[in-house]
Amino acid sequence: MNSHWLVYLFFAAGLVGIGLYALLTMRNLIKLFIGIEVIGKGVSLILLSTGFAKGHILLAQSLVVTYIVIEVCLVATALALIINVTRHTKSLDVRKLTQLKG
Amino acid sequence: MIFLYIGLPLIVAAVLPLVGKVSKKVLPDVLANGVFLFLFAYAVTGARGLLAGGALHQTFAWFGEPLGIQIAVDGFSLFMLTVVALVSACVGLYSISYMEHYGAKANYYALLLMMVAGMNGLLLVTDLFQIYIFLEVAAVASYALVAFGREQAELEAAFKYLMLSVVASAAVMIAIALLYGLTGSLSFTGVAEGLRQLDAKAAGAIASALFLMGFGLKAALVPFHAWLPDAHPSAPAPISAILSGLLIKVSGVYAMTRIFFHVFGLTPALSDVLMWTGTVSIVVAALLALKQRDMKRMLAYSSISQVGYVVLGIGIGTPLGIAGGLFHLLNHAVAKSLLFLTSGSVQQATGTRNLDEMGGLAKRMPVTSTTSLIGSLSIAGVPPLGGFWSKLLIIMALVQSHRPVLAVIAVLASVLTLWYYLIMQRQAFFGKLNERWAAVKEAPFWMAASTIVLAVLCLVLGLLFSSVVSTWIQPAADVLAQGMGM
Amino acid sequence: MATLDIVLLSGLVLASAFAVLAKDLIKAAVALAVSSLLLGIVFFRMNAPFAGVFEISVVAGLITVLFILTIALTRTEGEVRESKTVLRVFPVFFVLFIAIDALVMKGLTAKIATLPAAAESGTFGDVLWKQRTFDLIGQLAVILSGVFAVLALFRKRDKDE
Repeated sequence: MNSHWLVYLFFAAGLVGIGLYALLTMRNLIKLFIGIEVIGKGVSLILLSTGFAKGHILLAQSLVVTYIVIEVCLVATALALIINVTRHTKSLDVRKLTQLKG
Repeated sequence: MIFLYIGLPLIVAAVLPLVGKVSKKVLPDVLANGVFLFLFAYAVTGARGLLAGGALHQTFAWFGEPLGIQIAVDGFSLFMLTVVALVSACVGLYSISYMEHYGAKANYYALLLMMVAGMNGLLLVTDLFQIYIFLEVAAVASYALVAFGREQAELEAAFKYLMLSVVASAAVMIAIALLYGLTGSLSFTGVAEGLRQLDAKAAGAIASALFLMGFGLKAALVPFHAWLPDAHPSAPAPISAILSGLLIKVSGVYAMTRIFFHVFGLTPALSDVLMWTGTVSIVVAALLALKQRDMKRMLAYSSISQVGYVVLGIGIGTPLGIAGGLFHLLNHAVAKSLLFLTSGSVQQATGTRNLDEMGGLAKRMPVTSTTSLIGSLSIAGVPPLGGFWSKLLIIMALVQSHRPVLAVIAVLASVLTLWYYLIMQRQAFFGKLNERWAAVKEAPFWMAASTIVLAVLCLVLGLLFSSVVSTWIQPAADVLAQGMGM
Repeated sequence: MATLDIVLLSGLVLASAFAVLAKDLIKAAVALAVSSLLLGIVFFRMNAPFAGVFEISVVAGLITVLFILTIALTRTEGEVRESKTVLRVFPVFFVLFIAIDALVMKGLTAKIATLPAAAESGTFGDVLWKQRTFDLIGQLAVILSGVFAVLALFRKRDKDE
């Protein structure tokens, strides 16, 4: 059972890695957000496969459902932020966000 | 009754937008502040009695059927609940005047109440997954609050904050899933029990590292601090106060401490890691604060540095160190929210946050400048104010546990802290009055009142420190000391 | 674990990689929806129909709609070009990451000992309503937070502002 769990973890880690790469390197605000979504997919895969490996598929499903609800709220807030940002900068380029200095 | 800490803000927040249709300002002011004051009064008076017989566990039933709602209160969470209630009450009162010109007050208070509900929930849960849920409740509300003014700088700061915060929550969630996979349980006690039976060094280390990264980001400890100096200064002043005073401590320090002490059990290696992260945060952030010309940005760097002291104190792991760390958490919560509120008063009166443009404001704003001075001295650790005693406790604990190097660094950094706060005070409030500010007036009633309350508290915490420590800090520290060496 | 699962999971990772790399945002959004769909099927195959339905309807459906709406609302003249190096470095990064990932997981296979867990009984509804009732309150709180956040960010300017 454990080895199956690790196969799922392997793919989930791949998703998280892709998402982190996007977050660290991309310039388009929407691309950054796609990175976050990909990380979110990886996490929900980890969560469900863990429950699957433990034989707790019902519990894991209820956790994943809660996780998805949280993700939707996050997405809505973030997209609202992006729309507001582009009203100011007229661009989706993260390099236009230079009001704050390091 | 203790469930009110989650339920009451939730219900009032849900009805506020409807109330806001009827009465734009007065009713939201009254309702929200009523909730904050009630929760504070209850924390100080009634709630203590509940703990007479040790930690309290509550489960709920619905028509005789048990529900899956479990909350627990012990000395540590009660202490944190009180701090949250105290600061949020002062911030609520301050908002009555400050938020006038932002509009949409009902919406603002609804978000503030949700953030408080999220933090209170985080303090009461007994389950790892629920820690994550309430972390997100508070976080989602805080993104919108940082961006509440919808100016470009605020939106930018909120967006950066959201990006890093999402990474933090993902790290926390992965660590939780790992622990669940190892032990088959999600409750604190279940996981702790499972970890003791299981010799899971490698996986346990991965989970600890992920928690450290996730909560380190939330608490803005130094390698993970980049978002805080943007997010905290850009927000409206009461929100800066609550973010710096409460949110980083509840969703960073509290959650990390709770998990490391009560789930993993603090090992010597973990203790070393915590102490060194704390120390690095203290020094690096203090040096960065020195260079700042923006008043709120300087305060934000100071927050990173002072949270470093809290983590250093708790990380020592001796009863004295934990007590010192928690006492410093209280002192910093009070003094830093005071300082952010006074910076808001200055900004509202003058329209600037740049220290170079200020000067001599003490003559025009006596209340603001006096309270700001008291807050600065308390954080800088000048006797007899609260911050002095808590830093003294931390340094004594360091000496006791034979860590002279860290003790010397902590003392030197506190001199540095005093230095940059004196720079801030001199440039903003003393010296010659800049003619531009000849017509500046003192802050409105509610703003002045809430800063006065916080300044008096800074004094009281210092003067009555021994009784504060014995009634509030010690029960909390005892709970944590039990989590040692499991 | 069947070959089909491995194929689905690989497709999920590739679709996500495409979503990150695609130049056209609409294509990226569609690739993201496809990867959600694949994830939903993986969930079904793990005997988790409720999570699968949720993933497909909410993430592949609702979130994609929100995404495309945002893309339409923020369409501007100047297209944002990702730097070439970022796109070129990605395959190298990806291969390295997968290799390290595989090594770590292989290393853990021998080391990870887990506790056996008690079997669960009842239905999905029982678990959600009776064991995890508090999560539902948490969901309610998150939804309220999200709604207020969106309301605050899209509010009309007041007259007295």
